[in-house]
Amino acid sequence: MPFADDAEARLVERLVQRDERAFNALVRAHEARVFGLLLQMIGSRAEAEDLAQEVFVQVFKAIGAFRGESKLSTWIYRIAVNLSKNRGKYLRVRHSGQEDDFAAMDERVDVGNAKRAAVGSVARPDDMAAGKQLERIVQHAILQLEPTFRECLVLRDIEDLSYEEIEAITGLPEGTVKSRIHRARGQLRELVERELGEKIA
Amino acid sequence: MTEPEGADGYGRDDEAVRKLLRRALRKRRYSPDLLAGIQHRIRQRSCGKFFSNGWSVRQGGVGHVWIGLATLLLVAVAYCVLGPIDLR
Repeated sequence: MPFADDAEARLVERLVQRDERAFNALVRAHEARVFGLLLQMIGSRAEAEDLAQEVFVQVFKAIGAFRGESKLSTWIYRIAVNLSKNRGKYLRVRHSGQEDDFAAMDERVDVGNAKRAAVGSVARPDDMAAGKQLERIVQHAILQLEPTFRECLVLRDIEDLSYEEIEAITGLPEGTVKSRIHRARGQLRELVERELGEKIA
Repeated sequence: MTEPEGADGYGRDDEAVRKLLRRALRKRRYSPDLLAGIQHRIRQRSCGKFFSNGWSVRQGGVGHVWIGLATLLLVAVAYCVLGPIDLR
């Protein structure tokens, strides 16, 4: 197998042999990132948790088909993104009127506080509350983006993946990935500025 | 594009949004404990046959061997008590 990394090749070999400790190590190594990605894509903690578990079940079922043409993490992300697309479609049909978890956060402060957090550092307690509010506004805005744009934006700007990795995950050409990220940032900027009532510094 | 390019190959607006995202979402990564749920799903869907080391079938407590031996013992006792009686 054409693995770039020997340690990863050994891990995959153990996974193919259905070594329980290897499976557990894989989950521990990737669960936080997979859950975080799904949470940004779907907006519901319960759905993200359920889907993250399903991602690893699918990973374990399909590990024999992994050929090492990309990093293992990239392959796991691809499964996560594909499952989140399907779940997203299902949820939009079933629960179109419901609030996302970010919008339903308990800690609410006024938008004026969030403006301070958007331009400065967060240190004092009231600034921390403002930081929370900004987080809520941004996360809610992310969920309002078109799903195809959201996926590229989350992978690039939140998960910090390279363009090559995003191309491998989404199956899109480089130009399309870059264009979608650019357009997603534009949409996000508009949504956040509308909510804050002023331009992002 | 007329704007000066930032580190990402796009303009200042893109950089501003990237910075905003980092500032807004810079909290520590949180994840619920997924392992138990994943193991449960795999064990359930594979009827305990997925892992090569027998982990999933050991969870039941009493093994198949012990159940077999107990059944044999029960049959032997029943045979001794209820077995054919010689009436001659």
